[in-house]
Amino acid sequence: MAKTVEIKKSVMAADEKIAEKIRSVSREKGILIINLIGSPGAGKTSVLEATYKAADFRFAVIEGDIATTRDAERIALLGVPAVQINTHGGCHLEANLVESAFNELDLDSLDVIFIENVGNLVCPVEFDLGEDYKVAVNSIPEGSDKPLKYPHLFHKAGAVLLTKLDLLPYISFDKELFESDVFKLNPRVSLIEMVPVQGKGIEEWVRLVKGWLEEKRR
Amino acid sequence: MHEMSLVESIMDAILEMKEQNEWVRIRKIVLRIGDMRQVIPEIMVFAFRTASVSTPLEGAELVVKAVKLHFKCNDCQKEWGEENMAFLCPFCGSFEVKLIHGMELEIESLEVDDTNG
Repeated sequence: MAKTVEIKKSVMAADEKIAEKIRSVSREKGILIINLIGSPGAGKTSVLEATYKAADFRFAVIEGDIATTRDAERIALLGVPAVQINTHGGCHLEANLVESAFNELDLDSLDVIFIENVGNLVCPVEFDLGEDYKVAVNSIPEGSDKPLKYPHLFHKAGAVLLTKLDLLPYISFDKELFESDVFKLNPRVSLIEMVPVQGKGIEEWVRLVKGWLEEKRR
Repeated sequence: MHEMSLVESIMDAILEMKEQNEWVRIRKIVLRIGDMRQVIPEIMVFAFRTASVSTPLEGAELVVKAVKLHFKCNDCQKEWGEENMAFLCPFCGSFEVKLIHGMELEIESLEVDDTNG
């Protein structure tokens, strides 16, 4: 017999359960987890490389890519522990993938784990990875209209990194509009202007991450 | 395709419920999805039809109820809709703004055939 059943259950219940598990491990170990989200080519890996030069905290990187181990190789070259997850066509990381990557890291020797999500401004925002903060990485060449086009990411982000600022003279990018749209969606967000390859903005970013870490361990 | 990832999660959740409750068949799936989730209902239905082929959910009807953005100011208590998409109160200028609708992503109900039929 046909009947209607009220469910009222989050679509993501299964993922959220694993994300909660990751969160409880990170709380117990006092590790800060940051989920970096941005388009392909926004400069996510470059931000991490520059972070290595300025950071006085110990960190590891979980790299999410559809294919190849190129990003993990870039990070490992620095001597930073890196675990590559290949999603084989998947456009985002999910908590169960991050959980298995956790097992490959020596959690007792870490302060921060950066998760570099698959380059994409939509799907990665939907999937909770157990992170403390999502961070949006947006580069100048992508254009200034991204916040309102992808409001979910900019609303959820703990920080917005505006990268490749050195290209501003060559590209039509309305920085005022970008800033005002970001703050409309997220009035308290930290917005940091950066040129990762030149180190610009990295100290401010490292300070922010350290602040988050101290807050978490308090 | 964003909708396909969500459809996969939805199918996993429903198949698990189906097994636990020993339902024979799922006839209809009703979802409530807030506009902030950037889901296009037609694409969601297409993704579901494609992904459900040769699974126990093949042939089920998928209905997506879209929920419009709705904001509320915690300071002046006034409310407004998507015409002003900002987490800044247009009435008193406060940042203490909550999105009260628009983030929904839930399976609202299912129409099922149970074993007692």
